[in-house]
Amino acid sequence: MIWQILLLTGLVVFSALAILAKDLLKSAISLAVASLLLGIIFFRMNAPYAGVFEISVVAGLITVLFILTIALTRAEGDVRESKTVKIVFPLFFVVFILIDVLVMKSLLQKIPALPETAEHGTFGDVLWKQRTFDLVGQLAVILAGVFSVLALFRKKDKNE
Amino acid sequence: MNNTWFLYMAFAAGLLFIGVYCLLTMKNVVKLFIGIEVISKGVSLALLATGFVKKNTLLAQSLVITFIVVEVSLVATALAIIVNIYKHTKSLDVRKLTKLRG
Repeated sequence: MIWQILLLTGLVVFSALAILAKDLLKSAISLAVASLLLGIIFFRMNAPYAGVFEISVVAGLITVLFILTIALTRAEGDVRESKTVKIVFPLFFVVFILIDVLVMKSLLQKIPALPETAEHGTFGDVLWKQRTFDLVGQLAVILAGVFSVLALFRKKDKNE
Repeated sequence: MNNTWFLYMAFAAGLLFIGVYCLLTMKNVVKLFIGIEVISKGVSLALLATGFVKKNTLLAQSLVITFIVVEVSLVATALAIIVNIYKHTKSLDVRKLTKLRG
């Protein structure tokens, strides 16, 4: 449990670094480290498939896409963030965590969640048989993403 | 059981707060998108933690995988849009987008 708390703390710290770092490249790398920690947390919660997806796709692919975008927009793309935003952040964060700890415990008993029943079968059964419709949705989303990227990067016709 | 759930949900809420704070205060478009990524990490942590505590890990895992797939195509599209914005305005400042006219 202590390791899990340490990992969760690391996740929050690296996420905060990702939004506070001045250099965009450092932000992207902090985000990748945060994803890696989240993947390890998933592994420790007996969810190896979600962990593998988190590490390979989110920590790998998305970081590459971010770094590519930063490299493409580097030349004059620097925007100055105001310094007060970074100075005030810890204060707001501490206040939020206090409210969070006080309110969350009473809220959790009221949230409707899944019934606590034992599952049977393997991960494959659940993914392919119970959630078949989700897979169709995933295919549709991937296709939509591919077509939108193609549309956004298409070359202009000579007639235009 | 309830204490474990409480711990995970508290951390997920912390991640959500970091992302929302970034969205509210930053000006760089790429930074704003990193904020959205942090929020999505909080959401997937909350999903899997609920499944773990309620002993429904398999279902929670398949939901998390669906969420990650959606996230990836969102990222690809949004970053393509950001590159296009940069080509048009030569800047990543979100405030300059208010000057765009159709």
